[in-house]
Amino acid sequence: MNAPFAGKDGETAFAQLCEGLRPDLFRFAFWLARDRDVAEDVVQEALLRAWRSRAAVEDAATARPWLLTIVRREHARLYERKRFETVQVDELVSNESPELAVAEEREVLDMRRAIFALSDDYREPLVMQVLMGCSTAEIATQLGLTQGAVLTRLFRARQRLRRDLGVTGSAEDEES
Amino acid sequence: MNCLEFRGVAGADPRHLGADAIAHGDSCRQCAAHLRQLLAMDATILRALKVPVPPERKAGDLSPRASVVPAAVFANPRRWYALAASILGGVLVGVVLWTSGPRNALARDVLGHIAHEPEALVATRVPANSAKVQEILGKAGVRLRSDMGLVSYAMSCSFRGHDVPHLVVQTSGGPVTVLVLRDEHVKRPMKFHEGKFVGTIEPEGPGSIAVIGGSDTQVKETTARVAAALEFYPLSR
Repeated sequence: MNAPFAGKDGETAFAQLCEGLRPDLFRFAFWLARDRDVAEDVVQEALLRAWRSRAAVEDAATARPWLLTIVRREHARLYERKRFETVQVDELVSNESPELAVAEEREVLDMRRAIFALSDDYREPLVMQVLMGCSTAEIATQLGLTQGAVLTRLFRARQRLRRDLGVTGSAEDEES
Repeated sequence: MNCLEFRGVAGADPRHLGADAIAHGDSCRQCAAHLRQLLAMDATILRALKVPVPPERKAGDLSPRASVVPAAVFANPRRWYALAASILGGVLVGVVLWTSGPRNALARDVLGHIAHEPEALVATRVPANSAKVQEILGKAGVRLRSDMGLVSYAMSCSFRGHDVPHLVVQTSGGPVTVLVLRDEHVKRPMKFHEGKFVGTIEPEGPGSIAVIGGSDTQVKETTARVAAALEFYPLSR
């Protein structure tokens, strides 16, 4: 069995991999949870779990989607454990306003707030596609959906963002 | 492909268009403009998604193994403080044993080993894979005959020239470390108590087991449970 992360060399390779992926894994967890502290807990637990199981990875190329899966599961597990109360998006925005406000431009800040307000069904595939670079097939596998369903959600997510940001159409549309 | 179909496809994944969509975009000025707008929006989405990431907490000054431990393990202040305390505690115990303690080399090596595996000292309710636990014990010629509690960590570690099972048993008082030392012989229980650590090395099977925790009660109970659970069998070498 090929085990790229087994042994001492594997440890080092895996640590480097985790170090490189940690920023995006944190961001992914943040957009799943919409809570910075929860995201830190999720990534921390996910990486600990991954660290323990790293020797089971047979192909280095599968490590990234594998870590993504662990983060998703850890997030779900945390929600099962904590059973967070349902909160209003406005409250979430208020709680995370310093986080959301860290943007150089108004355009990015507005987009961040709009993504924050998207429903989970639309936000998660969008984050997986744009931030994590997942293909439609990979997103479908992760979410247990058909590729068609993923494409529909992605389309509607962008449509919702355009609507929330007041984008009515392209310049060419408006000209015509 | 017509304009409606193009906008459906582009709206779902504007950066990965098929040949027919690209052909339509080349021939339709309005759809081409729509695509440019979508790509610009995606660039903004990406920038918006890239929220600031908490700084990594390096532990290189504390543990020589820290460089191969996922940095995120140290990213959460609560966990970091707990780990740092564990590591420093381990180092302190080692130093004390070395300089003023009973100078037992085995106890010192046990504590040194624990200090170098801080990821094993995490309190959790997540069990290790039971098949893996059995496999690791099996390599040392040990099988489980009863439940020893929630084992959250199981590794086969190199210790004094032998591969030994390194387990962490979670108790209500926190994690307790167990090393199964088939090749380390002690004549009688050897207890040590320094800093936040309480430990014992006791004769078991052909060798011994080392149990280290945070309190006498923890260690005593875990030692009894582990001793009852482990069954040594002849190992052909």
